[in-house]
Amino acid sequence: MHLEKNKTLKALAIAATIPFVLTACASGSTDTSSDSDSSSGGSDSSSSDTAQIEVFSWWTGGGEEAGLNALVEVFNSEYPDIEFENGAVAGGAGTNARAVLATRLEANDPPASFQGHAGLELLDYIQAGQIEDLSFLYEEMGWSDVMPQELLDLITVDGGIYSVPVNIHRANVMWGNPEILDEYNLDMPATWDEFFETAEVLQADGIIPLSLGEQWTQLHLFETVLLGELGTDAYNGLWDGSTSWDSAEMTSALETFNRIYDYTNSDAASLAWQDASQLVISGDAAFNIMGDWAEGYFRVDNELVEQEGYTWAPSPGTAGTFQFLSDSFTLPVGAPDRDSTIAWLKVAGSAAGQDAFNVQKGSIPARSDADQSIYPPYLQEAMDDWASNAGAPSLTHGTAASNGWKAEIETSLGLFLGTRDVAALQDGLVAAAAAQ
Amino acid sequence: MASVKFDKSTRMYPGGTKPAVDQLELEIADGEFLVLVGPSGCGKSTSLRMLAGLEEVNDGAIYIGDRDVTDVAPKDRDIAMVFQNYALYPHMTVAENMGFALKIAGVPKEERAERVLEAARLLDLEDYLSRKPKALSGGQRQRVAMGRAIVRKPQVFLMDEPLSNLDAKLRVQTRTQIASLQKRLGVTTVYVTHDQVEAMTMGDRVAVLKDGLLQQVASPRELYDRPANVFVAGFIGSPAMNLMQLPIVEGGVQFGDVVLPVGKDVLDKASGPKVTVGIRPEKFEVSEHGLPATIDLVEELGSDGFLYGRSQIEGADVNLIIRTDPHDHPMAGDQIHLRSTAEEVHIFDTESGERLN
Amino acid sequence: MIKSMRRHWLSIALISPSLILLGVFVYGFIGLNINISLTDEVGLNNNDANFIGFENYIKLLDDPRFHIDIFNTIVFSLTFIGVTLALGLGLAILIDSKIPAEGFFRSVYLLPMAVSFIVTGVVWRWLMNPATGERTSGLNLLFDVMGLDFLINQWHLTPTWGMLGIAVPAIWQMSGYTMALFLAGLRGIPEEVKEAARMDGATEFGIYRRVIMPMLKPVALSAVVILAHISLKVFDLIIAIAGKQIALDVPAIYMWQTTFDAYNFARGATLATYILISVALFVIPYLIVTNRKEKV
Repeated sequence: MHLEKNKTLKALAIAATIPFVLTACASGSTDTSSDSDSSSGGSDSSSSDTAQIEVFSWWTGGGEEAGLNALVEVFNSEYPDIEFENGAVAGGAGTNARAVLATRLEANDPPASFQGHAGLELLDYIQAGQIEDLSFLYEEMGWSDVMPQELLDLITVDGGIYSVPVNIHRANVMWGNPEILDEYNLDMPATWDEFFETAEVLQADGIIPLSLGEQWTQLHLFETVLLGELGTDAYNGLWDGSTSWDSAEMTSALETFNRIYDYTNSDAASLAWQDASQLVISGDAAFNIMGDWAEGYFRVDNELVEQEGYTWAPSPGTAGTFQFLSDSFTLPVGAPDRDSTIAWLKVAGSAAGQDAFNVQKGSIPARSDADQSIYPPYLQEAMDDWASNAGAPSLTHGTAASNGWKAEIETSLGLFLGTRDVAALQDGLVAAAAAQ
Repeated sequence: MASVKFDKSTRMYPGGTKPAVDQLELEIADGEFLVLVGPSGCGKSTSLRMLAGLEEVNDGAIYIGDRDVTDVAPKDRDIAMVFQNYALYPHMTVAENMGFALKIAGVPKEERAERVLEAARLLDLEDYLSRKPKALSGGQRQRVAMGRAIVRKPQVFLMDEPLSNLDAKLRVQTRTQIASLQKRLGVTTVYVTHDQVEAMTMGDRVAVLKDGLLQQVASPRELYDRPANVFVAGFIGSPAMNLMQLPIVEGGVQFGDVVLPVGKDVLDKASGPKVTVGIRPEKFEVSEHGLPATIDLVEELGSDGFLYGRSQIEGADVNLIIRTDPHDHPMAGDQIHLRSTAEEVHIFDTESGERLN
Repeated sequence: MIKSMRRHWLSIALISPSLILLGVFVYGFIGLNINISLTDEVGLNNNDANFIGFENYIKLLDDPRFHIDIFNTIVFSLTFIGVTLALGLGLAILIDSKIPAEGFFRSVYLLPMAVSFIVTGVVWRWLMNPATGERTSGLNLLFDVMGLDFLINQWHLTPTWGMLGIAVPAIWQMSGYTMALFLAGLRGIPEEVKEAARMDGATEFGIYRRVIMPMLKPVALSAVVILAHISLKVFDLIIAIAGKQIALDVPAIYMWQTTFDAYNFARGATLATYILISVALFVIPYLIVTNRKEKV
């Protein structure tokens, strides 16, 4: 039976849940957005003869906001006739923003452009015909030649490219406290077995071997453990069906993951990722696994010097692999002023725009022709790795799997956190993969 | 069953300057029906609540029988009370309301049911035992409140204006029912009312209170015939007693153009040149001489007639009420003279209000 | 006759705006929601949804996450409603017993009501910090300083029973309100009824048990309905304290996540319907009882 859908009505239905969205937003400290929420909302500026673009994102604080502002500055100097309007919605690593966005897209009221993780997170919009194929822009601007093929492959769906990536973050980074490493004469663990040996010693002295935060940071840990234990090819194969979720290797990887919990802080569920990083800074914990946005937190927010206040290495077992995620901008179908949006995307994809943005945001540009010298040491190293390492997509941050699949995996993980039942976790993962 | 004794019982409300009940001395005999009456704020309800144990006794004592209950909790005084608004438990049926005290006292279920039924029969409530109070009429509720007291077979019944929420007709009916019920049960009863008719018709004795002070306690007849002071004289009786201040003259008091003879021994006790003379409406006599009065209004009630008139006494208008034959009486506007006999008048000291004769 | 007809139409005209708004925005959307829950609608491309009957409902009953949700909701609701009622009643009785500075205490207890669950959650997130050792903080630190170490606990991170921890701030927030409800009820009981019970031989405790409590039943019923719908729909408090974590998952959070994170609209709508049914289980009997009472 085919159901005739009235789009407007459905949009209203979703709009009715907006109070939910807003209350959820108020819990600003839950995810990657930093605590200092300075959301400006989308102020309805009065109409004038200048064009206007409203860009939707979840960058509302810290380096994220600074990066966006720097990008806007470049945009303003290149297109002084177009007024930029910040449509940022705070909270939840973009989950809150995405709920608001879904409502607006359903109501055929899309912003000029919106932020999305490059990769399969955009699949829903692509399948719903809500964002435009940007291949023409790539051709016109020659971006296909300056962005790594690996990245382009990932954001190409059925021959089309639907967003413009502005940056690359690395997910598989382990952060360490140099003083503890010195005191115990340790190196950053190269494998999880090495970690376990180290962890025994540290734990005996009352140091938390690995600090953990709330559930999504544990999903983040989960994906780096899978990458480290399965290897890059097998890990990448999980997402295209060429690797089985049912294998003995997977079981063993999950058991490793389970064992890690014996060496973590008991209050993980009540900590934001920053709190978990803070445990490393204070010396309460030796290590933490978090994406490289944490680097900005160490260096800028806590004014620490690299290798003195904090150090890093690829997470155990992942040396030589760059597990990445990318923020990108889109061209929604029916954008209010298509030409202005294209202007914005041109700036977002330009070398000048990406350098301005990334230095502030603490990530590396998606383009490979950026000016390395203006970046801090960690990012320079990351750029080298990005150029030379094998790539692997991040699950937690929307690159590897569709939203639905990711949600199912997260549910299985959440259930596991209560039971610590490895077999049930694997069953859940197998079922989630089978449903795709 | 027991007697009750107030022994200089005093109640002072916190923050008050004057006692609400001031050194009340009152003895109530076993089985007696005593009515406490007075205008609002006179302390009658407070006295009752002191006896109930709901109000603290600040000074003096209260006895039930020989037992000093001054500091005994209400539940241990073995008394039952009927409240003005009945205070029925709205969540209980009539039977449960009536049996509540017995239930608490641990009376076995069967005996309880029997006693409730007995009381219900007495009060004509048998058909309503399973109803909730809100499904009853005002009169029925009143009877349930009575029943709740009766069932307990207490030493003393306390009733706090139990009829004031009934309409006039029902009030008269219930009044006699309560009085006869009390006679039948023979339980000592203290009954509070502001209505002097109720007091006069129901009480074996009536205690009149004013401003926390006991004015007089006596049988209704005595109260009517020999009020102890001006207040009681004015309060008891309907229509009220005519009160007028008349100058003392040789051989009595000046009563219009005649002298009302009053004994010298009486007038010698007066503290001033005038006394207050009280004459009941039915004790006036229309005559050729005496106190001149103008009739303003005539009321014919069938069995009685009342003349409402005015008299100039020492330059001031005094209103008078005269009971008269309903068929043969002066008309409105008539100028008449009034007389009375010395035996029928009440003489009070103008200053203290105390009775002199 | 004509006059009464006219008046009839006038009253209909006066209430029609609210009726229409309610019809569209409440009942219309409930219908729309149920409609979606009977399809397989997933993803933003919603033109290919098929009618699948009650499949979503049946599937959810088998969903281990939904099992946790139900368990958590029951634990939370029983604890929250039970303790809040008891505490609210206790406070109301205390305040009703003519304590000095009654107005002050009443305000103090009522004040948490003015705070949103989000703010409560953020504060209690810190108060109920489960960290141990040197990083102990919040209430656990207080217990430690006071030498009440046996009270130190994991709060909402306690395995299986974490919802008891979530119930603590909810109780803190709502018991003042429940107190106000009960206080109004207590004040509505005529002094004479209590005195009558006293005369009938009841002890002070007996008066509460046999007379006051039964008379507070309607208030308690309203309180239960109000608290139940709060507890069945609890969302923001948990999000503020613990974020979205399966251990502390409830239907509302599952609904949110599956709808807006995974775009599984059909499952989200199904969860919404289940929440609606659970609230209705409390509210409808309440409405029936109150209506019947009003008719008598």
